[in-house]
Amino acid sequence: MAEPILQTFNITKDFGKLRAVNQVNLDVKKGDIHAIIGPNGAGKSTFFNLITGYHKVTEGKVFYKGSEITPLPAYQRCQRGITRSFQITSIYPKLTVYESVLMGLLAHRRKTLTFFPSAKKFFKEEVWKILEDVGLANQANVLGESISHGDKKRLELAITLGTEPEILLLDEPTCGMSPEETESTMIFIRRLVNEKGLTILFTEHDMSVVFGIARRISVLHQGTLIADGTPEQVRNSEEVQRVYLGGVA
Amino acid sequence: MMSFDVLFNQFLSGIARAALLFLVASGLSLTFGVLRVLNFSHGSLYMLGAFVTYSVWKVLLIPVVGFYIATILASLIMGLIGILIEFFLLRRLYARGWPEQLLATYAIVLIITDIVKWGWGGEFLSIPRPPPFKGAVFLFGFPFPSYNFFVILLGLILVIVLWWLVYKTRLGDIIRAAAHDREMVSALGIPIPWLFTWIFVLGSIIAGLSGAVTAPFGSIALGMDIEIIVECFAVVVIGGMGSLPGTLLGSFIVGQVYAFGIMFKPELALAFIFMVMAAVLIIRPWGIFGRPER
Amino acid sequence: MKNRSWLKKNGWLILLIVGFLIAPFVISKFYITILCEAMVMSLFALSFNLLFGYMGQLSFGQAAFYGLGGYAVAMLMTKLQFNFWLSLVAGVGLASLVGLIVGYFCVRLRGIYFAVLTLAFGQLIFVIIFKWHDFTGGDDGIQGVFPPEYLKSIEAYYYLIFFVFALSTLVLWRLVNSPFGQTLKAMRENSERTEFLGIHIARYQLIAFVIAAAFAGLAGAIWVPFYRSVAPSYLTWIKSGEPVMAAILGGPNVFLGPVLGMFIMTFIHAYILGFTHFWPIIMGTIILIIIFVLPGGILGFAKEKLKEKRDIQNQEQVGRRSG
Repeated sequence: MAEPILQTFNITKDFGKLRAVNQVNLDVKKGDIHAIIGPNGAGKSTFFNLITGYHKVTEGKVFYKGSEITPLPAYQRCQRGITRSFQITSIYPKLTVYESVLMGLLAHRRKTLTFFPSAKKFFKEEVWKILEDVGLANQANVLGESISHGDKKRLELAITLGTEPEILLLDEPTCGMSPEETESTMIFIRRLVNEKGLTILFTEHDMSVVFGIARRISVLHQGTLIADGTPEQVRNSEEVQRVYLGGVA
Repeated sequence: MMSFDVLFNQFLSGIARAALLFLVASGLSLTFGVLRVLNFSHGSLYMLGAFVTYSVWKVLLIPVVGFYIATILASLIMGLIGILIEFFLLRRLYARGWPEQLLATYAIVLIITDIVKWGWGGEFLSIPRPPPFKGAVFLFGFPFPSYNFFVILLGLILVIVLWWLVYKTRLGDIIRAAAHDREMVSALGIPIPWLFTWIFVLGSIIAGLSGAVTAPFGSIALGMDIEIIVECFAVVVIGGMGSLPGTLLGSFIVGQVYAFGIMFKPELALAFIFMVMAAVLIIRPWGIFGRPER
Repeated sequence: MKNRSWLKKNGWLILLIVGFLIAPFVISKFYITILCEAMVMSLFALSFNLLFGYMGQLSFGQAAFYGLGGYAVAMLMTKLQFNFWLSLVAGVGLASLVGLIVGYFCVRLRGIYFAVLTLAFGQLIFVIIFKWHDFTGGDDGIQGVFPPEYLKSIEAYYYLIFFVFALSTLVLWRLVNSPFGQTLKAMRENSERTEFLGIHIARYQLIAFVIAAAFAGLAGAIWVPFYRSVAPSYLTWIKSGEPVMAAILGGPNVFLGPVLGMFIMTFIHAYILGFTHFWPIIMGTIILIIIFVLPGGILGFAKEKLKEKRDIQNQEQVGRRSG
């Protein structure tokens, strides 16, 4: 199997007296579609925040492609190829769809300190390619705030793709989408991995999505990793069944 | 070498200044903490309070208690103006962004400036110190105006009253909850608009009161609004905006820096305050007691 | 065909430029002076709006940089008999340098906190200049700042101001439409999202802050030799409030909004001073009216209406194509 692109060693996060993430060791393999699941408050989002640099770890280390990134601020992690989406869709309300996607490209290709040429001249092909891939090309000149909820989710995905990430962290990518939108998003995610060799790490509530596309699943419960394996292994894990079916003991 | 009594004298005048700053800044901070509106016009109400105190005192000319009656009246009048400002202007802007709220209070600053100019002219006015605080108290052989002790005492009373209000009453529970999560408080069935009105009025009364108390300190003049509000901003930036203990600590720091700065180089006393502010911000961008906003 | 549409689109701009160029032959010296003031203040307002309209941060201390530019020129020219052009450069340089120092602190904060901090630093610079009598002349200011002989006439200086104003406006226009400008807008719209695209927010805010300080400094530097003097009132928060007002009056989200706002304000001011000194109360009232009646400012309102019209047209077209 492929080497791990992302590794965490005993990462822990305390918010005051509350331990949100507890000594989690996790390997994410290159080219994998890896789901993090767990009941509400299990620490999934916090775990994401620790990997992407939104929060600082209380303890532990994060490695990316073999080198430690624990002390790096968020923007530097992104420059290295770790990009994320947010659980509450995070887009640019007053920028057009086109401009929003362009922003990702400008940021990643280090053109943001260009002061005089018009921004419109940059990366036309790349932007249109992404817009067509996610199916937003016909809304390119619409403001981000005026598109439908499902499209906003797709727009955020498109923005993150502009940064040409190697690993993409998606926080509930299909949350609030219609079944059709969910289906097309799943297909799209699979395509990203197969065609571009991207690695996907995602959290999701919808178990049909998780078991539909994930090749590997890790289960968090009360901040602790309780299972980690193929969908089959996780489905059959007693621990997981106890947590999910037996309720909170 | 500086002798101990000189330093102590400077320290005491720093405390008096801190008390005055706390009087003004606490109202500003209270309003900000609950309404999330930074009230630029707080300094204007303070200035207007001083001018109104002067006029009432002059009209009454009642010996001994005249000043105190004028103070109470001026505070209440500022409270009334506060009701008008909150009800007719701010209330319509809570749904909008903070820049609009800030600008609306800035507009009030401009309007009150001209009202004062029109009503009282550009002259310096003054009120003699009221009895029984006319004289001086001698500490280590230095005369120290007894009126300063009155201001310090008033500052202490306000600290206690506000502390009691914020931490010991049901209104205080609501205030602290509203500072944290406005929607939750609203969902609990507490009428937010009225809470906001009363907090704003309370802030305005405090502004008026502090303006009145300043009147016998030095001169009453145009421009005192901006002078005080900028120092108050320094206080709340150092202490942390919206925090009562932060305001207290900020006032203490600014008062002391000012008092000792004056001794060192009078022209740059204010500059020292901002240097301290810059230093605090390097270490704690949200102020000493401030909470970061992400 | 293409030429004609370009002309149609930019015709107003050409008319405007021609108007400015022939103005000194048409209008009285009084109005030339007012035009000069309006252009300088517009440049000042544009510098402010780079931060407010584009980056989304309200600076309430912008006058400090305007004043520093003016003071640098006045002091260099009167005390050291410095060359006029070099003094202008030095004025911009000083404003940028102080902008870098002040900005270093201010960009750590956002929103109201940013506004308060810029105000406080602005007042600090004001107080230093105001109180440092030996060095800056204190509240007397500095008089007798004369431009070189060939720029002494009002008309000659008018053309200098127009040239500087037009060039700066062009530079700022290119700037806000460049990738850098795009980044500023993205930070305004959603700084978190932008940070997680790999942008170091504070660094970009600092760069914008310094650029804004430089243009404000340029405005002050170019104004002082025209007015022949400088005073501490150039650095007060009332002065800082003027670009804020111009921006909300004209429309902060339209590039030329602050310019329109400043022209309106300057002319009203010149007109009103003829019979009353109660200018602040009028400004205050204008602010309140704009906030309540015309949010988005004059040009913002016009743009909105235009867009609605275009949207309806577009929808009709789309309907026709798909139908």
